[in-house]
Amino acid sequence: MTAVPNMEAFPRRAAPHRAVPLPRGRRRTELAMLCFAVAIMAFAYAAAGLGMSGHIPSGLVVYVFGFAVLMAGAHLTVRRFAPWADPLMLPLAALLNGLGIVMIYRLQEAGRGGNPGVVISTLTSHAALYQLMWTALGTIAFVAVLVVIREPRILQRYTYTLGTIGLILLAMPALLPSSISAVPGTGAKIQIALGGFSFQPEEFAKLGLAVFFAGYLVAKRDVLSLAGRRFLGIDLPRARDLGPILVLWVISMLVLIFESDIGTSALFFGLFVAMLYIATQRKSWLLIGVSLFVSGSLLLGAVVPHVHERFAIWLHPFAPSFIQGSSYQLVQGLEGMAFGGVLGTGLGLGQPYRTPLVQSDFIFTGFGEELGLTGLMALLLIFGLLVQRGLRAAVAVRDPFAKLLAAGLAFVIALQLFIIVGGVTQLIPLTGITTPFLSQGGSSLVATWMVIALLMRVSDTARRPAPQPIQDEGLTQVVRAG
Amino acid sequence: MNRAIRRLSVVGLAMILLLMININYLQVFRVNTLAAEPFNARIYSEQFKIWRGEIVAAGDESNGGPGMVIARSKQLKGGIFKRVYPAGRVYAPVTGYDSIYATTSPYGITGIEKSENKFLTGTAPSLAVYNLKGLFTGKPKQGASIYLTISPKAQAAAYQALATMGKPAGAVAINPRTGAILALASYPTFDPNALATQNGTKFNKVDKRIVSDPAQPLLNRAINVTFPPGSSFKLITSSTAFATGKVANQNSTIPAPRAYLLPGSHSYLYNDAGAPCGNGHPTILYALTVSCNTAFAKLGDTVGGSALYRMARAFGFNNSRLTIPLPVTASAYPKLTDPAQIAQSAIGQFNDTETPLQEAMVAATIANGGVTMRPYLVQQIKAPDQSTVQTAQPTALGTPISSSQASYLTAMMLSVTHNSGGTAYLTAGPPATSIAIAGKTGTAQNGVNNSHLDDAVFTCFAPAGNPKIAVGVIVKGGGFGADAAAPIALKIIQAYLGQQ
Repeated sequence: MTAVPNMEAFPRRAAPHRAVPLPRGRRRTELAMLCFAVAIMAFAYAAAGLGMSGHIPSGLVVYVFGFAVLMAGAHLTVRRFAPWADPLMLPLAALLNGLGIVMIYRLQEAGRGGNPGVVISTLTSHAALYQLMWTALGTIAFVAVLVVIREPRILQRYTYTLGTIGLILLAMPALLPSSISAVPGTGAKIQIALGGFSFQPEEFAKLGLAVFFAGYLVAKRDVLSLAGRRFLGIDLPRARDLGPILVLWVISMLVLIFESDIGTSALFFGLFVAMLYIATQRKSWLLIGVSLFVSGSLLLGAVVPHVHERFAIWLHPFAPSFIQGSSYQLVQGLEGMAFGGVLGTGLGLGQPYRTPLVQSDFIFTGFGEELGLTGLMALLLIFGLLVQRGLRAAVAVRDPFAKLLAAGLAFVIALQLFIIVGGVTQLIPLTGITTPFLSQGGSSLVATWMVIALLMRVSDTARRPAPQPIQDEGLTQVVRAG
Repeated sequence: MNRAIRRLSVVGLAMILLLMININYLQVFRVNTLAAEPFNARIYSEQFKIWRGEIVAAGDESNGGPGMVIARSKQLKGGIFKRVYPAGRVYAPVTGYDSIYATTSPYGITGIEKSENKFLTGTAPSLAVYNLKGLFTGKPKQGASIYLTISPKAQAAAYQALATMGKPAGAVAINPRTGAILALASYPTFDPNALATQNGTKFNKVDKRIVSDPAQPLLNRAINVTFPPGSSFKLITSSTAFATGKVANQNSTIPAPRAYLLPGSHSYLYNDAGAPCGNGHPTILYALTVSCNTAFAKLGDTVGGSALYRMARAFGFNNSRLTIPLPVTASAYPKLTDPAQIAQSAIGQFNDTETPLQEAMVAATIANGGVTMRPYLVQQIKAPDQSTVQTAQPTALGTPISSSQASYLTAMMLSVTHNSGGTAYLTAGPPATSIAIAGKTGTAQNGVNNSHLDDAVFTCFAPAGNPKIAVGVIVKGGGFGADAAAPIALKIIQAYLGQQ
């Protein structure tokens, strides 16, 4: 703090009699940006149709109108229940979700109805409609969260309940038989598939565990930040406080072993370590966490064949022994992105259908092929903005629980993006998790909309002006009781 | 906690930045490496969408008419293109073929299709402006067309003559003034249409048949197969003799023993059928007219191996970097020190080898007053809007002999066809044609102990007074050069000059 008083900081004192201007909710900005996002979706949808068949698809009105109605509903809910929330989050989420629908529509149409390309066998002819329906469910979940959770701290009461539910959701696929939980063609056991519908519990486990971590760490952070011995200039935590991180580490390694899913285990462990760091401000936790995970994965890489292969493919995707087999998908994705180059082929004009499961884990390579480097940079900037807006809400809010929760949820978006996009672009070993908002799949979409709702709730709490104290004390009268 | 959140937000941004850097690397710098991956299905399928430019043979000079299209792309259903070669086999050694494996195998594309691929596909940097225009006008993108120097009349005559002969052979005709290639034929050859099929199974069947054919139809015998030049090499020995001053002009006499003891050995060299060569001291003109072996073997020993080597190289031998733009196999004249070998090499035996193109270049150099022009096939490259992208500029490769020395050699080659004792008198002289052809025959022994049939060689140019065409023909196992190769050369010349 400087000794010179900053006059700008105290405008109210300079003019005590003027009416206090209320901070603006900026809902009109949100509406304008939302219209822009829906317009981009509409143009992209038209471009995809024009690219494939030369004419604007007949379903354009249904999709764009449906999507616009959903987003209008979300916007109205925000106006009513979170009027002070960040105005950028909803439009950014809407833009990503809309582009995801367009890409899935484009992929579903490949090879169908005389369009060029090959039909993607893992994609039905109404996948885009389903994605729109899942968007509707996601919007409903978004609305529900905003309506039910009026204050972030309500969630704090359910710290352990939600933590238990999160753990059960996380462990469920591992305990169920493979016939129900294995994702065809990937070797990962991360879903619950019953009667044609599949549900990926980990997406919701993420939410429950984030709440749990926030509640737990707020309660224990003073103890956890106590310094133990000093080693190499870093204050190590006390040995007796290592318990929680070790438990989480064991759980994430178990997920890795029993569900064959490095991505999910990295995501949960990363979420916990990041929140632990925020709560305690001790870099030693970051160091311990990262080294535990890396050494754990390397150890498992040496023992578990599935994990070992992931490393080998990452290092040598073009090896003749991999290229027609286990690295085929990665290579197709890379070649697709190279085919797109700087400007991309244009929507509907590339060959993303050559990459297996391009609609889920590899959807980012599909965008890379058709929208090029230019489009991917835009997408990454949108994600970056979303993450920064979430972290900004975390910085602004006062309640430590809300602060931790928002920071954790915002960071997990960045982490998830890094794991999957880094994986499909050969930056890190490939592990299959969904790309937030873009990938096909209802669980991810609904869960991510809930994350956005929570971030907007925190943002609303942070930006809401404090209740105005009653100014005129002259009106107060003392009533003497007889 | 805010400080930690701010730090974490830096971590989050850094992760996104890392992704951005990696994707930039992937989509800008790794594009070419990934496109060249052998199993790249996108590149493979994309080639069918490319509207390749045409390959066009030269128009008829007399009426300046349009050229003859020898390769074009036909549009099929679904916006894909198929390559069609209307004249098939006749032009196969020139056009080559463009197969479905063009992007994935080094043998998937050959000939002009390969060497001018960037222009034909429209990806050459010099077409960027044209392509940019197309981007705004929305016209479908077509590649540039390649206009060749090939004369359809000469090419057809060359192929017909080779096919009629029915033996493995190559023939090349050049405009001696410019180096423009007028005909480039090879036999046996293949039908490029069969290899341009888009059916993978069909391609593999055709490919297997062609590759396993003992006649080796894929070999381009005009530029990629070398044969012993035989007596036609005596032109280079004569040139060396004039250039070194050992022989003054075509009327100077040189020693020609009946039997020549190869220096430093115990073996004798004889003339054909052991015949004498005049009175033993003939003029060099007479020695070439009847193609005396002893005279030129001894002359080779007189001028020496290094002088012969330099002269052969000046004519184009030992040049492994020549492209027309098809890569040309180097004709070889080895560096020799053993006098017996030098003497043999001077009459085109020992290890001398040459392509029919080299054979034509020797005649063309003499016809052009001693200046060897760089041979070339591509006259012009035009964008689809008919704007010229590139035009050939004739350039000289070298000047192995002076113009007066060239005139001595012209007189000697005219004698070969016009002296009634000349080796090509009956086949390329007045009995056969009224055109003044200046030529030299060659009959090269080959195989172990000369067990194989001799290769027939003929090199010539016409009309002798005002040379318009120089021809080199080599027929494997054709026997005497005058009998097998000269009639082929004559047919090409007649077709090109439009005379019988």
